[in-house]
Amino acid sequence: MNTLQVENIRKTFRLSKKQRKIEQTDLKKKVAVDDVSFTANPGEIFGLLGPNGAGKTTALRCIATLIKPDQGDVYVGDYSVLKESSEVRKNIAFLTNELKLEDHFTPNYLYRYFSRLHGVDETVIEERKERLFKRFGIDRFAEVKVADLSTGMKQKISLAISLVHDPNFIVFDEPTNGLDVLTAKTVTDYLVEMREQGKTVILSTHILSVVEKLCDRVGIIIDGKLKAYDTLENVKKQSSDGELETLFFDFVKESLGEDHA
Amino acid sequence: MRNIMTIIRKEIYRVVSDMRLVVMVFLLPGLSIFLMYTLMGNVMQDQVTAIQEHQIILYERNMPDSLKNQLIGLDLGDDRVLNIEIHEAKDADTVLADRVREGDIDLVLLFDENFEEAILHYQSMALPQLKVFYNYGRQQSNFSYNQVMSVVRAYEESVRISRLEDPEYYFVFHTAFAENTVDERQMAGQGLAMLMPMLIVIFLFAGAMSIGPDAIAGEKERNTFATLLITPTKRSEIALGKVISLSLLSLASAISAFIGIILSLPNLMMLENGAGELNIYRFSDYLSILFVLMATVLLIVGLISVISAYAKTIKEASMLIMPFYFITLIVGIVTSFGAEPNQAFLVHLIPIYGAVNLLSGIFVFDWSMLNLITVGVSSVIYTAVFVYVLNWMFNNEKIMFQK
Ligand SMILES: Nc1ncnc2c1ncn2[C@@H]1O[C@H](COP(=O)(O)OP(=O)(O)O)[C@@H](O)[C@H]1O
Ligand SMILES: [Mg+2]
Repeated sequence: MNTLQVENIRKTFRLSKKQRKIEQTDLKKKVAVDDVSFTANPGEIFGLLGPNGAGKTTALRCIATLIKPDQGDVYVGDYSVLKESSEVRKNIAFLTNELKLEDHFTPNYLYRYFSRLHGVDETVIEERKERLFKRFGIDRFAEVKVADLSTGMKQKISLAISLVHDPNFIVFDEPTNGLDVLTAKTVTDYLVEMREQGKTVILSTHILSVVEKLCDRVGIIIDGKLKAYDTLENVKKQSSDGELETLFFDFVKESLGEDHA
Repeated sequence: MRNIMTIIRKEIYRVVSDMRLVVMVFLLPGLSIFLMYTLMGNVMQDQVTAIQEHQIILYERNMPDSLKNQLIGLDLGDDRVLNIEIHEAKDADTVLADRVREGDIDLVLLFDENFEEAILHYQSMALPQLKVFYNYGRQQSNFSYNQVMSVVRAYEESVRISRLEDPEYYFVFHTAFAENTVDERQMAGQGLAMLMPMLIVIFLFAGAMSIGPDAIAGEKERNTFATLLITPTKRSEIALGKVISLSLLSLASAISAFIGIILSLPNLMMLENGAGELNIYRFSDYLSILFVLMATVLLIVGLISVISAYAKTIKEASMLIMPFYFITLIVGIVTSFGAEPNQAFLVHLIPIYGAVNLLSGIFVFDWSMLNLITVGVSSVIYTAVFVYVLNWMFNNEKIMFQK
């Protein structure tokens, strides 16, 4: 089964002195993700909506096996991120602007390099590369060093490279952040295409319109806690005026109130 | 003008307010030079002391009793007495020469049978002869020669003074030097043994230091390492891949430096003693050197990789590697300017020091297969430990993703 189940994960970070300064807090620890659970189904886009610092990236990193939750577990299909992390990695695409490609290489080189690390067959590598590069308009720049390419092009290359192994689970962290409208549309169009192919797609964002346009189901995460979690329609129904925006800002206000209390 | 001042102030503040830069720019250069020269001075002093305290092994034939009595218990001042052991030389001359060459005997003095009689009756008898065997390639033999011969020359001078009224008999005896008391190959290798091991290890380290931090700490800093970590590749494979590739590159860099030194040696040696011949070394010697290089580069790359994996940035990695670089420099200097290579088995288990010591030995043809294997095997074991630690670090999110 290709469902992705997040079960009661919690992630606590120890804050360094420098970070305590940045976060303006005296607390030595920060609960970045606090007992979060949700399920994403195949053929659906699940959206994790939350303001900056809410814990979105942390939650997605736990899913992608880059970090381990202190509590709870995530099942990516049949595999646990705690116990079978390398099986999980074989089946997941993870895109975040915190993962970069080495400037010195060309898209062709990097695509082949990561394909080989994923154990993809040489003939499949070339076939799939051609398709993905064409799809994202990378083909013309395939032999240009990443260093010499624009931000948007870099993001598209990262996207293509995250898909070298044709995974069933797609986890994208703020995939349209900092992109021009055209590039952003290429990305969102592709996410829709993946949904149609029956893949399990999770994206995080702080932009309401992205959720409204793309997501079938949504979780609103504020200060590490999941405040709402349902289909987009049902979540909207929780709002006083039926708008996602109103509900979102109510949650944000509520949590700010808690902070000051 | 004001702007220039503003810029100057900002640039100076930039350096002075950064602890790392303060250490690098102001403290390290002075400290390192002070340490290096102090150490070099101490090592050389120790060596001189060691030679002075060495017991001279002298073999003689027909040595005049007056001379012998002077040598035994000779007062050197500072409450020190000449430490000497005098034996009668019964072997043939060729055997004596061999033993001097191999370092068993420091000095041999063979006086003619009727030496004293010939000196006494100098007007009627022929000039007697003293035959000297010593190995100027060995420091201890050199020292023995100088000490003992100063007494012999004083004896000669006193005889000469007693003949003042017969100035035509100026010569008291004839001094001849025996042949085959010096191993020419070893002599030629000694200069290299001082220079090369130190340079080789320093080049190895410098090579690894110029690429290691970038390949690991740099990837962390630029956020490209995590891209590798989300592939199903095993962490141990990443660790091995990094260490092996860095080792090959550092080795190539060190070999390039090595070739550069070898090519420039004829010129260099010409200046020193005119006997700059590298063809004293056979292919197998070069092979042994290469083997030691490979073993050492693994060790150094392992160390640098672990430090680079720990550091958050290239800058931090370079800073943390510095002390190890200085230790390597110091080990190189101490070993090169120290006495003859240490043959003890345990010494070869010590990282870097064992390798430098062995290299010195190879350059003077004074080493054993056991020591070569010890250096090789111990380096591989140390490297394996480093790779294991590296693997653990790559698995540790606190180290890989610390903020
Ligand atoms: N490695 C880390 N060490 C310490 N604190 C962290 C670390 N990663 C994230 N945090 C903190 O956890 C909180 C959630 O961060 P993040 O998951 O990046 O939020 P989002 O992606 O929603 O903006 C923030 O307060 C952040 O500073
Ligand atoms: Mg984020």
